[in-house]
Amino acid sequence: MEYKSGMRNLEKIEYQPISVREIVLEMKNLSELMIDLAYSAALFNDKELAEDVIDLEKRIDHLALLLEMHIMIAARDPEDAESLLAVSRIGSAADKISDAAADIAAIVVHDIGVHPIVTRIFENVEERLIRAKVTKDSLIVGKKIHELDLAAKMGVDILAIGRNKEWIINPEEYEIIKEGDTLIVRGSSLGTKRFKETTEKSQNSGVK
Amino acid sequence: MPQQYPEEFEKIVEQLAELKNTSELMMDLAYSSILLNSTELAEEVQRLEEYVDRLHTEFELRVLTSKFTNEESKGFLGLIRLGVAAEKIADSAAQISEVILRGLEPHPILKLVIKEAEETITQLRVTKKSKLANKTLRDAQIPEETGMWVLAIRRGEKCIRPKPEIVIEPGDILIASGYAEGVEDLKKLASP
Repeated sequence: MEYKSGMRNLEKIEYQPISVREIVLEMKNLSELMIDLAYSAALFNDKELAEDVIDLEKRIDHLALLLEMHIMIAARDPEDAESLLAVSRIGSAADKISDAAADIAAIVVHDIGVHPIVTRIFENVEERLIRAKVTKDSLIVGKKIHELDLAAKMGVDILAIGRNKEWIINPEEYEIIKEGDTLIVRGSSLGTKRFKETTEKSQNSGVK
Repeated sequence: MPQQYPEEFEKIVEQLAELKNTSELMMDLAYSSILLNSTELAEEVQRLEEYVDRLHTEFELRVLTSKFTNEESKGFLGLIRLGVAAEKIADSAAQISEVILRGLEPHPILKLVIKEAEETITQLRVTKKSKLANKTLRDAQIPEETGMWVLAIRRGEKCIRPKPEIVIEPGDILIASGYAEGVEDLKKLASP
């Protein structure tokens, strides 16, 4: 489905020596994150979030081409080809999933929007995804992710950090939260609400 | 403020929610089928894919006959596109599960990837001594205790979808996804 108008600026593609494992892993993680981001963008009519999705889609397209090249190089005999076919099919499935996410994002970017009734869908699911902006006085500034012990304390997880227009997907445990970070967090609606409060409220507001 | 919508609209949303949830469950199940090299799970994904196809057609027909107003037409186009996207996700999941059904040996890399991904997948048998046995999924409080979500329950040949009112039986195999840390906790609960 075409969502861009005019000419597409296609990025030059070159072979890069990263492992197939890393490529597929990133494609899987990214495609899953993109779906959640896209639905959230549709739900909150959030154009920024939708544009993030379209941005990430370009990354996946790039990875998909790299994967193809790696697979071509790796196959030396029919047996290799058979076992690599599974890798290629899964890579293409992840690519297709990211396309679907971009299609959802395009609904928002192109100002089509979804009927407000759609919010009911999200009220009934156990998990949701939110975006929280780390304020200067936030209690979590300067803390490493594992120090926050979010899974145990609030039942939430940080899926991505938006920092200086770049995304850190699936940040490492020792990643330090900085002022101005945009955190994409997944959890129960109660957990994410508490997390947003903690992240966006200042130390002086008396939150534990 | 919850607005009142015609009953027909509510039904549309219900079906869209079902499309969304099913397509996401299918993705998890499809990756699980690769990790566990499980034909049962792969077949379940295929069954769900047929279900999604039917549901999607019903959903689109319902939208088209819902007599939305002119002003609402854009919003309904958005709904239709969400449905198409969910269907595409379901298709992709089916494509993943086909790897197993076509007898392709999942490349070791794939297993590594699924294990290493942010959320891992595990399967555990519920023993007689387990605290989970004979409880409903709702009362079992698995996500609260372990951070793991039950994706499916395998009971003999059948693959059951984890509705809250389902009673967990000894011998059931729980297929769950979540962070690696949760796997041990779930193991203690299910197979003490």
